[in-house]
Amino acid sequence: MPELNVINLSKTYTNGRKTHQVLDDINFAVNHGEFLSIVGPSGCGKTTLLNIIAGFIPTSSGQVIAGDKPVNGPGPDRAFVFQNYALFPWMTVKDNILYPMKMQKVDIQIRETRLNELLTMAHLGGKETLYPHHLSGGMKQRVAVIRALACHPRLLLMDEPLGAVDTQMRHKLQLELEAIFRKDSATVIMVTHDIDEAVFLSDRVIVLSGRGKIAADVPVSLTRPRDRKNTEYIRIVNNLNDILDDIPQPQESELNAE
Amino acid sequence: MDKPQRPLYSAEVTREKLINDVRKDMSGKKNRFPQLYWIITLALLIGIWQLAAVHIHFALLMPSPWSTFKALLQSVADPKILIALLITLKRVGIGFAVACLIGISLGYLMGYSKTILRFLDPLTNSVRLIPIMAWVPLTIVWFGLGDGPTIFLIAFAGLFSIMLSTISGVHDISADYYNAARSMGAGRLSIFTHVVIPGSLPSVLTGMRIGLGGGWMSVICAEFIATSSGFGHEMVYAETMLETNKLIALMILSGLVGFTIDRGMLLLSRKVIKWKNS
Ligand SMILES: Nc1ncnc2c1ncn2[C@@H]1O[C@H](COP(=O)(O)OP(=O)(O)OP(=O)(O)O)[C@@H](O)[C@H]1O
Ligand SMILES: [Mg+2]
Repeated sequence: MPELNVINLSKTYTNGRKTHQVLDDINFAVNHGEFLSIVGPSGCGKTTLLNIIAGFIPTSSGQVIAGDKPVNGPGPDRAFVFQNYALFPWMTVKDNILYPMKMQKVDIQIRETRLNELLTMAHLGGKETLYPHHLSGGMKQRVAVIRALACHPRLLLMDEPLGAVDTQMRHKLQLELEAIFRKDSATVIMVTHDIDEAVFLSDRVIVLSGRGKIAADVPVSLTRPRDRKNTEYIRIVNNLNDILDDIPQPQESELNAE
Repeated sequence: MDKPQRPLYSAEVTREKLINDVRKDMSGKKNRFPQLYWIITLALLIGIWQLAAVHIHFALLMPSPWSTFKALLQSVADPKILIALLITLKRVGIGFAVACLIGISLGYLMGYSKTILRFLDPLTNSVRLIPIMAWVPLTIVWFGLGDGPTIFLIAFAGLFSIMLSTISGVHDISADYYNAARSMGAGRLSIFTHVVIPGSLPSVLTGMRIGLGGGWMSVICAEFIATSSGFGHEMVYAETMLETNKLIALMILSGLVGFTIDRGMLLLSRKVIKWKNS
């Protein structure tokens, strides 16, 4: 049974008398342990899709089934990494990471063990008493990821988790992310606008078209960690770039008055 | 997340921010020795004052800086004045506590619930436009002369800024924090104690600081009229005794006390909000 099932999902935003259909009858499933990336032109609805899966916003029609339950609201089975990290600025690194474990009533001893395990995994030892304010972008990002992983969520959702760091840091963090996920064997859906990042990390890449449909669903079955110079790797990146180039940018004219 | 519109409530906090911004501009890079400007301005002021005193040559209208300074020293050592100050501070304390209690709870209710906000908003927005001093006669009718009117006025003067900044503090919390907390398994209560309260705290404390300042300003005025004890009353007394130098000394003293209270609140908020400081 798949970890996540998206069935006939559509989403239309209504702003006054204007309506805007962002997602149009989307169907896909994600298997256990799979790393799926979602790419597509800006404004095509990637964030909307991820937020619907997370339960932050309702669908217009269709449904999302996580495990065996239909999604209606956020839940700890689907952890979320926000683009701006959304670490609680009033909590230390340690308290941020402990928060989901407290909320989910994890045993105190297990909490401490897990905390240390996560800090080591993300190379954050010694930073636990700092406030997010004092962390670099890369450190915040890692805290956000391990906070989301703390309680072994069924599914990890990430919205452009590396959007705010420079290329060099990005490559380093991609390697770390991959190591973290392999250790924690998580099922992940990541939204990104970086094709290379998608191919580097994913088992599968879904391309959304500007019309709110799935334009392509491309498997990536290369050995890990991936080699950016590998010819098959380059071929997949080029192929995805071609698919993206063929998609017309979503236009404002798609906003039509009713 | 369904959110009420924001702009209504940013006014009070914005004023604070504006003052701070001006301060920041003034203390730009070149200003290595800010005290210098203070000293020059103060010296100029005292110089002009001295000239005026010599020119007018009538201590009742314009006492000299020196005699005022002496009166200030005497007042600070005068048990009668100090007791009056303590009486006033006690009123400020009680009034401020009431203002916090009502302002913060109403602020959270209105910040949290759009419906409550819609009901209470017209009420608070009209009542708060009545000048605070216009309440004095009515409060005398209600409470009689004494502590009653003064405490009521302090509470009332502080109430709105505390309430409004609590509301804006709640509204300014990013929806991401609520979503993050919910997707980590937090319930309503935990969201309130771990997200809403700490997230709004800086704004609430700013409101408390403004409210306390307003309370201190209005208490002196209220004491002119509504009571026969307290610091404001001592000022009226100095006036009727034709001791203008003492009157000015007491004015200066009230400014100093106000400044100390404000600094105290500022230090307290910096202590409480460790996470915002670098
Ligand atoms: N709350 C909303 N109300 C109305 N329209 C919205 C709302 N949120 C998003 N939209 C519109 O829906 C479309 C898709 O937005 P979304 O944020 O999902 O795109 P995206 O693919 O994540 O874009 P980006 O790559 O720039 O992050 C955009 O045209 C956006 O303007
Ligand atoms: Mg987006």
